[in-house]
Amino acid sequence: MSFRTKRTLAVAVPVILLGAVTLTAGPLERDAEHDYDPPVAGSYSLPVVKSSAGGGSLVDSTGKSVELRDLIHGRVTVLSFIYTRCASGRACPYATNVLGQLHLASAEDSKLARNMRLVSLSFDPEHDTPRQLANYGEAVRETDQGCEWRFVTAKSAADLKTILEGYGQAVDKRADPNDPEGPLYHILRVFLIDQQGRIRNIYSSGTLDPRLVLADVKTLLLENERK
Amino acid sequence: MWSAELLSLVHTHLIPLQRVRRAALTTAGQPRAHWQTHCATGDLTVMITLARVFSCNSKLVWGALAFVAVASALQADETCSSPYLARIEGQEDFVYVWTLGQEGLGDGSDKLVTIDAKPGSPNYGKVIDSQSVGGRNEAHHGGFQDDRRQLWLAGLDTSKIFIFDVHTDPAKPKLTKTITDFAEKTGGAIGPHGAYALPGRVLIPCLSNSKDQGGKTALVEYNNDGSYIATHWLPTKEDPRGATNGEMADGYGYDARVLPRKNALLTSSFTGRNNYMTELPKVLANPEAAKQVGNTMVMWDFHARQPRKVFSVPGAPLEIRWAWGPDHNYAFTAAALTSKLWLVYADDKGEWQAKEVAPIGSSKDGVLPVDISLSADDKRLFVDSFMDGMCRVFDVSDPHKPKVIHEKKIGRQLNMVSQSWDGKRLYFSTSLLAKWDKTGADNEQFVKAYNWDGKELKPTFSIDFTAEKLGRPHHMLFGARVIGKPPTVAANE
Repeated sequence: MSFRTKRTLAVAVPVILLGAVTLTAGPLERDAEHDYDPPVAGSYSLPVVKSSAGGGSLVDSTGKSVELRDLIHGRVTVLSFIYTRCASGRACPYATNVLGQLHLASAEDSKLARNMRLVSLSFDPEHDTPRQLANYGEAVRETDQGCEWRFVTAKSAADLKTILEGYGQAVDKRADPNDPEGPLYHILRVFLIDQQGRIRNIYSSGTLDPRLVLADVKTLLLENERK
Repeated sequence: MWSAELLSLVHTHLIPLQRVRRAALTTAGQPRAHWQTHCATGDLTVMITLARVFSCNSKLVWGALAFVAVASALQADETCSSPYLARIEGQEDFVYVWTLGQEGLGDGSDKLVTIDAKPGSPNYGKVIDSQSVGGRNEAHHGGFQDDRRQLWLAGLDTSKIFIFDVHTDPAKPKLTKTITDFAEKTGGAIGPHGAYALPGRVLIPCLSNSKDQGGKTALVEYNNDGSYIATHWLPTKEDPRGATNGEMADGYGYDARVLPRKNALLTSSFTGRNNYMTELPKVLANPEAAKQVGNTMVMWDFHARQPRKVFSVPGAPLEIRWAWGPDHNYAFTAAALTSKLWLVYADDKGEWQAKEVAPIGSSKDGVLPVDISLSADDKRLFVDSFMDGMCRVFDVSDPHKPKVIHEKKIGRQLNMVSQSWDGKRLYFSTSLLAKWDKTGADNEQFVKAYNWDGKELKPTFSIDFTAEKLGRPHHMLFGARVIGKPPTVAANE
């Protein structure tokens, strides 16, 4: 299985700028920033971090209303809080990249395609309109195959507040709205949610290794099969 | 009471009783190349724009982003905190001090003391707030959760954990929750020893257990809401759980620290409640009690929370400090009872090893090294020792060959040290344990601030916690009105 990127142009300019980074193989391999072999799926347990992940009313990239609760039940869900204007290198763009790798992996694994769901939830509804989310989704999705990947945002300010509090996702406005890293300050949070809607892991930039997330997803699927 | 006679007891009774079974060592290895995932980002505008334009799915783009991120050094924040913690990127405004209550002094209760540490402030170097928790719990260590909005403070005696809101008004922390059923929830782990930020949760290394109040103990996880998640017992020789050198495992605990890019969790070991709540001379006078000291460290698979290898590190290895450099695969610890500096490192085959690398003072003098602080550039290690009240500064540019380059007498007793990220400011406190602190005139209780100019520690301010009727100052953590880079206004509030 190869996940080598198809967009070689994407790497050209950074190479020139930095000069020291070499092209590596597929993204789901051991590298300098994730310099270990991940544990084998099913060889460890994932205790419940929170028994009930929060809900709230959302709107998706087609403009359709959807309940968050419906997006975090029935499949193993990887939920990433983002905003599309984020330019912090280890935050939203990185998280979306990892979800993209999971999406590619699911395109070559029918079990994952059937049983995993990806959700990118924007906490910037004023800017991240359904149209913006649709464009963002189109830009970051590398395949039409694979598991469901939804791009959503809160339906109202009240819903946003409820959702952010429910997940403990801190978001602050930067004093300078033109800050080069984006107008909002936040810590990166990505949630692993089981088929029953329980939070089973929380990742930050330091732990958001797609190999670990895949191992965790498969661990939950195995756990479900053993019931 | 801390006489030459007592010191002699330490070295004639306690140290010889420790097991000295060391893991096989190899020659010093060279660290593997990697980058540090826990550095904050710098100005990445160009790179991010490129990444977004090209849809972000290139490994190389992200490698490049990481490269730039590492190159962007931070300016402040303490160097010994969790890599998962939101960082202060400017001057610290406050030093929070978790302080043991002392009977007959003030209200006698443990308290969170806030010191104004911002140079130029009218209250610089003064106590600006004190929040009593009502009662004594053997206040010891604390830690922020990853978003830095709440500060968790633990009590070794009662196993209570006090959670303070330090976000709403960082100058005036507010107690929002107290965990009072720790032993029941954790299945018998007691003596919570601080809180270490993990994504959305905290890791709480413990010192003891409720069954025999000895040193066998566990790592415990709570989520940021203060709800229990899991208990992971330290490996023992009876139940090594697959760890290499499992026959050496003693099950003891103290510190727990993660090197994310190696998926490595390292733990150290101290002693159980039976000892830490007993006057030290009595412990030393009891040969059976004196045996009950941790002599091991354990390397874990962090993600799986499974122990992988046990190291023999005799004499209570306490604080763990992972190096920060992108290719520095090592951590330091100080063994308190043998006065030795130890290095845990990846050898040239990538295998984790542990070896003694330097004495701390003279072990005959019984300096009892306690807290250590590694500079953000991994070049200087500040080592406090309780008995002689000294801070020794080691050049650890070669981690296998540390050299003392400066010594400073801070006070008659000394315990904790916290260092700013830029390495220019250090704060010292005195209390070790309520029943292990010195007595009489030697029982100085203070927080002192120093500047480090690269050669010498120079005092800036000092607060007498006895004169202020506050108690015994222990763990110090930094606070700020601004987390991250610019001033912020809560968007979801």
